Amino acid sequence: MSRPAASLRRWERGIGLKAYGLLVYFFLYFPLLIVLVFSFSPTKTIVGISGFTLKWYLELFKDQNLLTAFFHTLIIGVGAVGIAIVLGLAGAFFVSRVSFPGKSVFRTLVLLPYILPGILMGISLLVVIKALNIPLSPFTVLLGHVSFTVPVVMFQIMSRIARMGPNYQTAAMDLGANPVQTFWYVTLPMIRTALIGAALLAFTVSFDEIVISYFLTGTWMTLPVFIYGMMRYGLSPKVYAISTIILFLSLALIMLMSRYTGRSAEVYRVRRPRE
Amino acid sequence: MGERYSPPRSLLRGIPITIWMLCLVAVPLGYTFLISFFQVEGMQIAAKLTLKNYGLFFTDPMYSRILLKSMLLALAIASLSILAGYPLAYMLSFRVRRGKQALFMLSIIPLWVSYLVRIIAWRTILGNKGVINSALTALGFIKEPLEFLLYNRFAVAVTLTYICIPFVFIPVYTALEKIPRNIMEAASDLGAGELRTLLNVVLPLSLPGLITGFIFAFIIALGDYIIPQQLGGTQGIMFGNLIWSQFGFAFNWPFGAALSFILLAISVTILGLTSRFGSTEGGFLNE
Repeated sequence: MSRPAASLRRWERGIGLKAYGLLVYFFLYFPLLIVLVFSFSPTKTIVGISGFTLKWYLELFKDQNLLTAFFHTLIIGVGAVGIAIVLGLAGAFFVSRVSFPGKSVFRTLVLLPYILPGILMGISLLVVIKALNIPLSPFTVLLGHVSFTVPVVMFQIMSRIARMGPNYQTAAMDLGANPVQTFWYVTLPMIRTALIGAALLAFTVSFDEIVISYFLTGTWMTLPVFIYGMMRYGLSPKVYAISTIILFLSLALIMLMSRYTGRSAEVYRVRRPRE
Repeated sequence: MGERYSPPRSLLRGIPITIWMLCLVAVPLGYTFLISFFQVEGMQIAAKLTLKNYGLFFTDPMYSRILLKSMLLALAIASLSILAGYPLAYMLSFRVRRGKQALFMLSIIPLWVSYLVRIIAWRTILGNKGVINSALTALGFIKEPLEFLLYNRFAVAVTLTYICIPFVFIPVYTALEKIPRNIMEAASDLGAGELRTLLNVVLPLSLPGLITGFIFAFIIALGDYIIPQQLGGTQGIMFGNLIWSQFGFAFNWPFGAALSFILLAISVTILGLTSRFGSTEGGFLNE
């Protein structure tokens, strides 16, 4: 076979793949675009869509229950992330640096709330909560969110620890720093970006969680549970408006997150002790 | 600090995470397992041990039929996700130079976009007065709205595939990026065309990522109950809905717990098998 023909065919094949890729991107983003368009549309149909309105957004701000639910979501998110950072940080160093029997089972158990179908976590937490006679409340929702945010934080930090290696800490200790000083002056600054990234990621996951929350929510609702209730009466334009707001909030969080995670964020600085 | 010299004192550092693990993972799952051997008397759960709940699952063919149906649907969803996600990852890893980082972000963003928003989007697209139907009506292709779009297995499959694509993309892309590029050159020098290189070199080397992605998609699809509830109608009822209904109106927690355990056993078995071939973390929680 002559060379030009082969390279031409390769070029064509590349085009086919790229066209297919474009199609997949279209499939991924078209639905999101639809939500965006509907939230600004005065009518409920896509064909003959005319005009542009912000009235659905204004209605959102008049809906006291929705605003309350939004506020609840923020509280749960911040609370769950705060707890998850402490537990996840301690857990990450424990699993990365301490050897103990049954470590791989332990790792898997920690990961379970994240990889098991949410319905299983939701139900098993509900069963225990009922057995202990704890009423469904903000506290039970928080418990649910702490269950899956901990593995998110812990595994993010673990992968950073793995890449960092133990040498920096060993060096600090050799130079006479005690464990607290080593953590404060060396380790913490080195994993700072991973911590921020993990917190943002955990918050993003907590922000729209519904599968587990659904089982643990009483009358104190988070935003996704509240919206889920709204959807029972069909999709109102208000649902599209709040969806669009959620969409942009999660986009903002992802953009922020990408600055703190990944190799590009790995600029190691240590804290200089004050003389 | 080294792994070899861990004195018992360092085990103390594991206390917080162990307490968390016991309270929120081990005890709830263990207790649910226990409950699955209890029975309901009146409206109360009685702590009398019985195998009745598992017996009911294995004797009444309705339950195993729904499980089988759900597994087949999950299998189809996982395959469709591979069909969409693998070529995308392949394209990004081997065919794109400029804007690779941006396209990578574009591929994983849907993972973090609200689950509910995505459900809302697909209900809007597939509904009787939805985007597809109104567009086709306006163009004069159809007079009556197409009924097969929403409230059936098709709608569930489309939406779950949509959810699962990033879960396939990430491990596959990670695996493809790890393939040393000189191996590809070697294959090419030895006369292998692109297709042959893909089948004989790239595919085997990316198999762990592929399996991981497939399994994640399968488990997500099998365990979901909200999407079948929102888009599945009566035909699209899945195993998750069956479990859910035991905790809702059927109010048979022990039976629901037994069904949950069947789902757990399937998930854990599959994850256990995969961890030998793929990686369980799948790269989502690694940076």
